[in-house]
Amino acid sequence: MRLCKRFVVFLALFALLASALAGCGSGSQSGGSENSAVKKVEIQPGEKVKVTFWHAMGGHNGEVVQSLVDEFNKSQDKVQVTAVYQGTYDEALQKLKAAGPEGPSMIQVYEIGSRFMIDSGLITPMQGFVSTDKWDTKDVEPQILNYYTFNGKLYSMPFNTSTPLLYYNKTAFKEAGLDPEKPPKTLDEFHQYAKQLTKKQGADVRYGAGFAIYGWFFEQLMACQGASYTDNDNGRKAKATKSVIDSKEGETILQWWKDMIADGSAANLGRKTGDSQNAFMAGRVAMTLESTAVLGNFLSGIQNKFELGTAFLPRPSASGNGGVIIGGASLWITNLKPEKEQWAAWEFVKWLATPQTQAKWYTQTGYFPIVKGAYDQQIVKDVLAQRPMFKTAIDQLRGTKVNTVTQGAVIGVFPQARVKVEDAIENTILNKATPAEALKTAATEITKLIEDYNKTTK
Amino acid sequence: MSSKDRLGQVLGYAGLILAAAIMLFPLAYAASTSLMTRAEVSTFPPPLIPADPSLANYAELFRAVPVFRWLLNSLVVASAVTLGQMVTASLSGFAFATIRFRGKALAFALFMSTMMVPWEVTMIPNYLFFRSLKLTDSYTALTLPFLATAFGTFLLRQFFMQIPRDLEDAARIDGCSRLRFFWSIALPLARSGLITLGAYTFLSTWNQYLWPLLVTNSKQMRTVQIGVRFLMNEEGLQMHRVMAGVVFFMIPAGLMLLWGQRYLVRGLMAGAVKG
Repeated sequence: MRLCKRFVVFLALFALLASALAGCGSGSQSGGSENSAVKKVEIQPGEKVKVTFWHAMGGHNGEVVQSLVDEFNKSQDKVQVTAVYQGTYDEALQKLKAAGPEGPSMIQVYEIGSRFMIDSGLITPMQGFVSTDKWDTKDVEPQILNYYTFNGKLYSMPFNTSTPLLYYNKTAFKEAGLDPEKPPKTLDEFHQYAKQLTKKQGADVRYGAGFAIYGWFFEQLMACQGASYTDNDNGRKAKATKSVIDSKEGETILQWWKDMIADGSAANLGRKTGDSQNAFMAGRVAMTLESTAVLGNFLSGIQNKFELGTAFLPRPSASGNGGVIIGGASLWITNLKPEKEQWAAWEFVKWLATPQTQAKWYTQTGYFPIVKGAYDQQIVKDVLAQRPMFKTAIDQLRGTKVNTVTQGAVIGVFPQARVKVEDAIENTILNKATPAEALKTAATEITKLIEDYNKTTK
Repeated sequence: MSSKDRLGQVLGYAGLILAAAIMLFPLAYAASTSLMTRAEVSTFPPPLIPADPSLANYAELFRAVPVFRWLLNSLVVASAVTLGQMVTASLSGFAFATIRFRGKALAFALFMSTMMVPWEVTMIPNYLFFRSLKLTDSYTALTLPFLATAFGTFLLRQFFMQIPRDLEDAARIDGCSRLRFFWSIALPLARSGLITLGAYTFLSTWNQYLWPLLVTNSKQMRTVQIGVRFLMNEEGLQMHRVMAGVVFFMIPAGLMLLWGQRYLVRGLMAGAVKG
């Protein structure tokens, strides 16, 4: 999910190119068709259909993806999946745009690329396979399913799913005289705790808090307050036309952030999430915000240095009907390949969504299982018994009400918008602008991006 | 040797050692990190030397990804591009520097103007070209676009321009063909330029990221830079493993530098004393 400005530029270039190319060809766009059921193409006995799957999972998670693919290939003899790592989410997406007929049968795309994928004309909506195959979505977590449902139609199958959590250092809590079993619940409490946890020893400071300047956190803290990111109910009712982040709720977040940096209870650790992770693991900051998916990484990085605690993301006040938005990525079946291959890809997608597979995926990576049935699997029960901290994320997700705020905003220019928000946060904490000014600028810029996007896509 | 000279020498060496230490520190730290465990990497203050050095990260690296194949790919691609550029740049640079022909100024200006076009702009057309030839995922796609560059031509032209015209005239009078003059006289004189170009090309090709990522699809055709990226995890950086990869992939480039450095210095010396 890390974002590089350069790639945003490339992405924009590709969008331009794609719109130019769209004019000269590809009449067979099934992406926009209204009837959701599609004709099923059966794989004949003795036939083996090849499926290419592009993904953006590097490191350990990449190995888990490979092991799942191997297992699927061994489990049946109709479909042969080849998984190909294509760099970051941004890189995989731009490669998809350039690849044309050489593209994959299915691809993993991050959540904020969803609008872009829908408008790309490169995909067959998942709903078609779901309806025709009468696949039951009842077992899928509603909060997760909702993010990828647009106009009542499921466009892609959620795959790796995460939300942000508050991670804290229990040992430091004890040292500072705080109850390690009572993590802060509200933004004010969080600030208060951070002050108490800050410890100065000469030039050496342990900060109470520190988390990356990451647009995702802003989006989440907005959702926690029940505030939208764009008009038209986050672009869920109709296409978004402007950004509404310059709201009271947005200012609350930036003011809170700025105050903590100003009084020295929080450290400004820059935009790289990796830096904040390391500072937290090294015990240099006592509280941090991070994705649920780094829990495993934290546990192996901290070992016996201190005791780790997890809690819900802090809210503006104890009440409120906000919640967290799903992050992560989903699987899209492209329309670049013959229908038979698309159906073969669907077989693999279905297999990935089984409770057994999800249980393995969850226990090995830390991403949520997308289906409830996974929690009945023994390996999941064992992990939850052993590491109750994994439970926090599930409780937080289940406690989230489904509405357009927690469904999350859908805009085609989300990666770029995120950078604008990060600029705003940075300008605020560096005292270059007041929260209101910074957000006003960001909102104007994002609105401009949305307008340009809407003009170039139908 | 007077004591003053000695003092100067000591100070000189001290300065050099300091500079060398500054240069070497990141490399040494990378090597040291690659021998640490996950938990040790993220402690404060960061340890410089692993408490319990282990090669486990390297074992993990060899197990997880086809490192030797990636290394081979990078070596093949970087060597082929280097060789190709040395051939094309020396021939075209020589032509622009010594041969008189109609429209030379215009041709040269046109040639140079291609340097104004950023590589990123032509990348997609290049990609589409290779796609239409069904040549993606091959060594051809990795090397072909880089076999000739305006920069190389320009660089070597400058070197060939330094060769006195009289020298060529004398050679021609003695019956030396143009190609023979190029091969036996001009090329050895432009050796330092050739090696500079070679080293520069090799390193920049070795470091390429976006193009190899774009044109290769199978794990077997990837180069080392993509390999390093593959070791990183979106949701949590595991520096110990990444560093093991970085150190391992650095070895061939480092050896290349050590070997080439000798020639680089000799080439520069030869250039300096030529009369």
